[in-house]
Amino acid sequence: MIRFENVSKYYPTKQGRRYVFKDVNIELPTDVSIAILGPNGVGKSTLVRMLGGADYPNKGQIVSDKKISWPLGLQGGLQGSMSGRENCRFVARIHGYKNTEEIEQKVYDFAEIGAYFDEPVKSYSSGMRSRVAFGLTMAFDFDFDVLLIDELGAVGDANFRHKSQALLKSKFETTKLIMVSHSMGELRKYCQSGIVVKNQTLMFFPQLEDAIQEYEETYVATN
Amino acid sequence: MRDTVHALLMRELKTRFGSSRLGYFWAIVEPAAQASILAILFTIIGRNSLAGVPVALFLISGVMPFKAFSKTKTQLSNGISSNTALFAYRQVSPIDPILTRLIIELATFFVVYIIILSVMAWLGLDVWPQDLLGLLMASLLLILLAAGIGLCMNSAVLYWKDANKLMGIVTTPLFLISGVLFSATMIPAKYWYLFTWNPIFHAIELSRDAFFASYTTPVGSWGYLALVSFSFVTLGLMLYRINRIRFVTL
Repeated sequence: MIRFENVSKYYPTKQGRRYVFKDVNIELPTDVSIAILGPNGVGKSTLVRMLGGADYPNKGQIVSDKKISWPLGLQGGLQGSMSGRENCRFVARIHGYKNTEEIEQKVYDFAEIGAYFDEPVKSYSSGMRSRVAFGLTMAFDFDFDVLLIDELGAVGDANFRHKSQALLKSKFETTKLIMVSHSMGELRKYCQSGIVVKNQTLMFFPQLEDAIQEYEETYVATN
Repeated sequence: MRDTVHALLMRELKTRFGSSRLGYFWAIVEPAAQASILAILFTIIGRNSLAGVPVALFLISGVMPFKAFSKTKTQLSNGISSNTALFAYRQVSPIDPILTRLIIELATFFVVYIIILSVMAWLGLDVWPQDLLGLLMASLLLILLAAGIGLCMNSAVLYWKDANKLMGIVTTPLFLISGVLFSATMIPAKYWYLFTWNPIFHAIELSRDAFFASYTTPVGSWGYLALVSFSFVTLGLMLYRINRIRFVTL
């Protein structure tokens, strides 16, 4: 269970505070995988970042007794000036691992980017980035109850998609997803429930199809 | 928190000193070379002691604290902004890189100081500080001042991106007016007021007072140095507290 208590989040802009979320009170289940739906710029990534502890609400709090991953996506997590290997080492160390070689090796094997693993991450293509980012979460043996995914699949090639999909499916019993994607097909494949971001708040639908319907009614022009 | 600082320490050591280990070499050579060049200049113009102290030792006792100050200030000023990508992990909070860099600067300062003094002792100079505790105290207060200013700068750049540039302009002339090249006894008492507002001047005066039996500072004030240092640290921590969300929000 993830509980939002009076969560407000705004970004200071030149026109004043722009609220992304205002006084959100909601409980999200953690026994189903949840899709997050909404158009660009509505706050999906912000939501995922707050869930992952990478950002904080300006007011209120998000509480959970579950282990939630860091947001897996294109922007977060990997430091550009460090190599893929150094990033792995760093993440292993902050999780308290003293011997980091095993994790480095696992990510290396999963990512299949060869010698680039020792080059700075800023020289990677977005596909390579997502391979390392995804491999990093895998390396921790899915030690998470909830995995946060922010449009990670969008840049992978067929081989990588296939591989990550197989892995996600095999861990499905223990790890649920909270996922942002603009591909309804992908969302239908993984998620049972959905959230629509609307009017600076969150609407939870136990059935994904209801969420998709709401999303399309609100945001997608039908003509 | 310990794991995080450890992980950051490993990462920062690599970027600070480079992966080639040549960085460690420069950390020692830079202040040593600076002091040597100045010492040679002073010797050429015919001085072999300043305020009753051998020139080289007099200069190193000024160069070292000043270097520690400017290095700590610059490193800490960029501490948060150069690690933003890592705040994606909930374990890492913005204060962690600040602490890490402070630890690195402190350790570097002491190690480099000890190595340089050892070399000077080997060359036949009497380098044992007269009041070791006093020297430590003055150095620590000065580094604390640098840490406080550095911490403030992290918040300042949130409001004005070029704040660090202004800071650079302001601190460059400090080398000349902080008493690295002279001590208070070498200037007329009526001009002391031009220097005594500067806490770095106090720190260097007090360092030399503690270092050399033959030198007693007429102006160095522990109270003033401590007051300014703790004020900056307090201000820095308050600004950090106010801005802690803005540091991580993209």
